[in-house]
Amino acid sequence: MSNTRDRIPTLRLVPHAEWGALHAQGEDERSVDAPAAVREVDWSILMARAQVGEREAYRRLLDEITPYLRSLAVNSHRDPNDVEDTVQDVLLTVHAIRHTYDPARPFGPWLVAIAHRRIVDRLRRQGRARQHETPLEPEHETLAATGANYPETSVDSTAVRTAVERLPPGQREAIKLMKLQEMSLRQASAASGMSIAALKVATHRGLKTLRKLLTGSSTEA
Amino acid sequence: MIRTSDLIEALVTDARPVRRLRAPVQRAALWLLLPALIFGLLALGHGVRPDLAQRLGQPDFIVGTAASMLTGVLAALASLMLNLPDRSRHWALLPVPALLVWMATLGHGCLVNWVDIGPDGVQLDETARCFGTVLMTSLPLALAMFAMLRRGSLLSAGTVALTGSLAVAAMSATAMSIFHSLDATVMILVWNLGTAALIVAMGSWLGHR
Repeated sequence: MSNTRDRIPTLRLVPHAEWGALHAQGEDERSVDAPAAVREVDWSILMARAQVGEREAYRRLLDEITPYLRSLAVNSHRDPNDVEDTVQDVLLTVHAIRHTYDPARPFGPWLVAIAHRRIVDRLRRQGRARQHETPLEPEHETLAATGANYPETSVDSTAVRTAVERLPPGQREAIKLMKLQEMSLRQASAASGMSIAALKVATHRGLKTLRKLLTGSSTEA
Repeated sequence: MIRTSDLIEALVTDARPVRRLRAPVQRAALWLLLPALIFGLLALGHGVRPDLAQRLGQPDFIVGTAASMLTGVLAALASLMLNLPDRSRHWALLPVPALLVWMATLGHGCLVNWVDIGPDGVQLDETARCFGTVLMTSLPLALAMFAMLRRGSLLSAGTVALTGSLAVAAMSATAMSIFHSLDATVMILVWNLGTAALIVAMGSWLGHR
């Protein structure tokens, strides 16, 4: 059993815009000293009329309670879409059970109880949805391995190129042809005039030297 | 997402006149006519239990039966109160004192009886007739109760269903204690409240989807 009733806020005055409309309707005597109470009586009368099928009264009631419902929903939801969804949930519920309102009783608690219930329902639904979801955040857009997330250190091409330039001539030639230009052994042999065996040895040694020069085992062009 | 102003327009277009719900006390009285009717029919068709006069001399029987009937009345009222959105949730506690008294009079005697009845303690026809009484009271009462509750608001469906079922169970048990010497209170309670608990559990499970 929930004790939501205990936490229900009292009916508050909804400011300016609707207030004008309220005065314009000139329906019965009302004291400006007790606007919230007057508003509630108004809503009560409007709902009583809506119950007998007066569409104008119903439209005015829904128009007037909407900003009030929004002010209630804003307290629990930050996303404007959630706020609007909640307001619409409440309006639908009010419509579905409008026959349960007894005009002899105050309108405020009736409306607030429905609103509160719907706000809590949406919060619960969101809580459940969140249990099954992982929000996509900037850190999820990279790979798990830290090395992959620093492209400037992993593929520092200028460092590789200067290191290649510092290789002994034979090794440099072999690395350039075999690794940078990605030639086959036969093509590289034809281009450089070196034998295939010599190319293999030079490439192997060149890579070894490069590894030493770059002081890391991860960089291999 | 539909715009709120459009929604309001749609709702206004759909605003047919509605029949206001009667006050909970009136609705409870209306529902209580049904057990009264059933009790009357049972008394005519089946007759009260043979040892009723003798049992009426026993205070624990009187207290127990009165408490179960009171539990039924109060639970029905509580359920119909909770059926309105603006009534306090504390109405659910209304039948609790009567329920406690009723449970206290059951004591262990009914459990012992239940065990005594066992596989061969009671003839089949008595058990069958007894089940008949339980069905005849429980079923229409439950159907009527849920039909009434469906008319109202089910914003707090769990407590509404539980108190409603308690009302049905209490009335069925009252019928049993007046019309049968067999004490089936525990069975009736388990049956009715079990069903209600099942409905509530299913509701919350489906609600979690």
